[in-house]
Amino acid sequence: MLPLSLLKTAQSHPMLVELKNGETYNGHLVSCDSWMNINLRDVICTSKDGDRFWRMPECYIRGSTIKYLRIPDEVIDMVKEDAQAKSRNRAEMNKNRGGNSSQNQNQRAPRSGNRNNFGVRSGPSGGGLGNGGMRGGNAGQGNRPAPQGNKLRK
Amino acid sequence: MDDLNPLAGTAHLLEEVDKKLMVLLRDGRTLIGYLRSVDQFANLVLQRTIERIHVGNEYGDIPRGVFIIRGENVVLLGEIDREKEQKLPLKEISVDEILDAQRREQEQRQEKHRLVSKALKERGLAVNADIINEDFC
Repeated sequence: MLPLSLLKTAQSHPMLVELKNGETYNGHLVSCDSWMNINLRDVICTSKDGDRFWRMPECYIRGSTIKYLRIPDEVIDMVKEDAQAKSRNRAEMNKNRGGNSSQNQNQRAPRSGNRNNFGVRSGPSGGGLGNGGMRGGNAGQGNRPAPQGNKLRK
Repeated sequence: MDDLNPLAGTAHLLEEVDKKLMVLLRDGRTLIGYLRSVDQFANLVLQRTIERIHVGNEYGDIPRGVFIIRGENVVLLGEIDREKEQKLPLKEISVDEILDAQRREQEQRQEKHRLVSKALKERGLAVNADIINEDFC
């Protein structure tokens, strides 16, 4: 699991982003790309000295200004579960390979279902992200419930 | 080395994955955790990370969890020797105490900077305070 894939898995989770200039941004990850550019929602920005705070509903951070991101421990566990599920699927696929075609069809259906639900399996706010393909367009509505769910859990 | 291995003779971090590493960042912070992943930019994923603060021969650990570190901010990585780790010549103190010590050290440093730049100014030398920060301590 590459660092940027892990970041993608952490979508909708709360995180802390520290910039190279020392400012920190606390918020929920909405989206990210392969340059590490990110969108955050419900953000609290803290100055370098930690003495001033700003609240903003959303913000965009250019990847090149980031020093590091801190993500919740459970995101790594989600990756592990996902890897296990994938290898299980692969094993099943190999087992069924060469079997009759109806078996293959039965097996194919749940697999594509899993793909669409990527990341939802252990996510408390999974409902909002049900359709992986719609994530970008949906983000505004889909992620609203997430902060509460996550806060309650803490 | 095996000639078929495409990574032979190249510097890479794949052998460090899942080892306990110390990471020194460009801002001077020290993180210690288990390296879980790297990519071509040397972006890192650290799990069960602590931030270790050193002041003199005392240190304190702050638990920090999972980090995704952007590679360009890393100065160096070092594997932690589990045996030597047991007999550090340093003394561990509580987080509050080390933060206190760090704050005092910072204040002393600022005071020293103030005196140095004052002395330089009196001699007609104007030196950028940031440069003093880096080089005189």
